[in-house]
Amino acid sequence: MFKDLDPLLHAQLRLAVMSLLMSLESAEFTFLKEKTNSTAGNLSVQLDKLAEAGYISLEKTFRGKKPLTTCRITPKGVAAFEQYVNDLKQYLNHNPL
Amino acid sequence: MEPTANPMTAQESLDLITRMIRQAQHNVRQSSFYFLLWGWVVGLAHAGAYLLILLNYPRPYLVWLITIPAWLVTFYKSWRQDRTARIVSHFDHINWALWIGFGICIFTLIAFGYKINFQLNAVILLVCALPTSVTGVILRFKPLVWGGVCFWLCGIASFLLPASWQHLAGLVAIVSGYLVPGYMLRNRSNNV
Repeated sequence: MFKDLDPLLHAQLRLAVMSLLMSLESAEFTFLKEKTNSTAGNLSVQLDKLAEAGYISLEKTFRGKKPLTTCRITPKGVAAFEQYVNDLKQYLNHNPL
Repeated sequence: MEPTANPMTAQESLDLITRMIRQAQHNVRQSSFYFLLWGWVVGLAHAGAYLLILLNYPRPYLVWLITIPAWLVTFYKSWRQDRTARIVSHFDHINWALWIGFGICIFTLIAFGYKINFQLNAVILLVCALPTSVTGVILRFKPLVWGGVCFWLCGIASFLLPASWQHLAGLVAIVSGYLVPGYMLRNRSNNV
């Protein structure tokens, strides 16, 4: 049976952020913005949604006088991402390209 | 990457995941600085120690004091890098643990060297072989892997050579294990 894909992850920018964070221990907001080619406002909203779901943790500090946001994927986020990929595989097995 | 009206297809999701994971993988820190710093410092120390032995200087080991500023520069530079790094990858973490472990081993060897009459050259070269070659594997940079092999071979040679010649073996090891790969790594980083 094909399971519904996690709607929180089945969105372009959120999935891109989660894929980047899966490969890293931590990443700064500016790095994610650059790699996902997104606007600061949109990225900020999507990061908050992922953080509210407990998929990522956000650490807000300062470097000198500049605010610094550091993102990390949580164990819940890793499990959700793995589940998403498994569901995707299952979907592709049932619906070959 | 802005929100689109149409939901992603499964193939688009897979492509996006693959693309982002590749982007992250290319961000392993490739710092040639430490290889070049320690390559020159240890290379000069080996050459200096060899010359001082030839000149019958009674304390040729004093030349190793030039490594003290190198340790200080290493600590300061790595502290600065940690503070300013935009990302930390899993490989960065492994690499950090590897070289910290290496540093602890070297400190221990120097501290207890008197127990083995400071016959340390061969042991230090063998200890250098491991983090050098593993870093080469992590960075997918073969000259460092071969550099590790050179350390190992020169370590074996040092067990068989007299004290003064051990410094020449150390010099060969440091040039082939740190300096040559270090410059190649710097060129690669500049060309990326």
